Amino acid sequence: MTAETLVLSTAIGLFGVGAAGALLHRHPVAMLMAVEVMLNAANLLIVLGARVRGGAAAEAAALIVLVLAAAEAVIGLALALALFRRKPVPDVDEAAELRG
Amino acid sequence: MDSVFVPLLLGCAVALASALGVVLARRPIYAAIFLLLHSLSLAALFALLSAPMVAVGQVLIYSGAIVVLFLFVVTLLPSGGRELQLSGSRVVAACVAAGGVLVALAASIAGGAVPPAVSLADLGVAAVGQALFGPLLVAFELTAPLLLVAIVGAVVIWRRHEPHVRTAERPVREAEPRKLVMHR
Repeated sequence: MTAETLVLSTAIGLFGVGAAGALLHRHPVAMLMAVEVMLNAANLLIVLGARVRGGAAAEAAALIVLVLAAAEAVIGLALALALFRRKPVPDVDEAAELRG
Repeated sequence: MDSVFVPLLLGCAVALASALGVVLARRPIYAAIFLLLHSLSLAALFALLSAPMVAVGQVLIYSGAIVVLFLFVVTLLPSGGRELQLSGSRVVAACVAAGGVLVALAASIAGGAVPPAVSLADLGVAAVGQALFGPLLVAFELTAPLLLVAIVGAVVIWRRHEPHVRTAERPVREAEPRKLVMHR
């Protein structure tokens, strides 16, 4: 196994772990942390691509993804805290105001 | 790149184990600590993949800002982060997702190897900066309004769900005329 294949399989494995965690949890903060793991896996794949193809633009894109992750965490945590205001032990399935 | 194979293997193992810890920890405070370890191990992986600027950004933005934000929220939780009992359908969905990704993993490994890395003479900080301010200039500049909108949105979401909205005007009660009681 080469080093590139190792990093590729790690990124896929991290994405799978994050996806399973996001589906598993009912706690909004725990769910958001699993989504962060998925974002990190995608970023690792971008950096691996930059390394394999030798593109500096891909590394810059990875930096922009980091900033996107920060904005996503801010909005997600504000939503989670709004859920906590309603019930002390919240359930993400109950937040269905946007259902048509 | 095979000279860094053993450190890469170590970093990948730590990243996977800490990701499992994030997902399987029963209390959110432990999950946040595992998330910190996960982000630091990913920074090490980025450094090993000769992307030092992304590694520094990961430590600064992820470990320094996002994980600390998670820690703040977890410590502010009213119930200490108690979670409802996991339902069986959720466990099934999680197993299906993990199984699907395992199939993708096997296919990607069997399908063909990743081409070996090219020489890295021009992947320094200067090259990344030139890409950031050249072809990616619009995306880079748009992150500033994105962050501003995120801040404003967080405040709006917080205020809207407040139990007693302070901005709504209170009905002004007419002052009742005081009754004059004459004491004899």
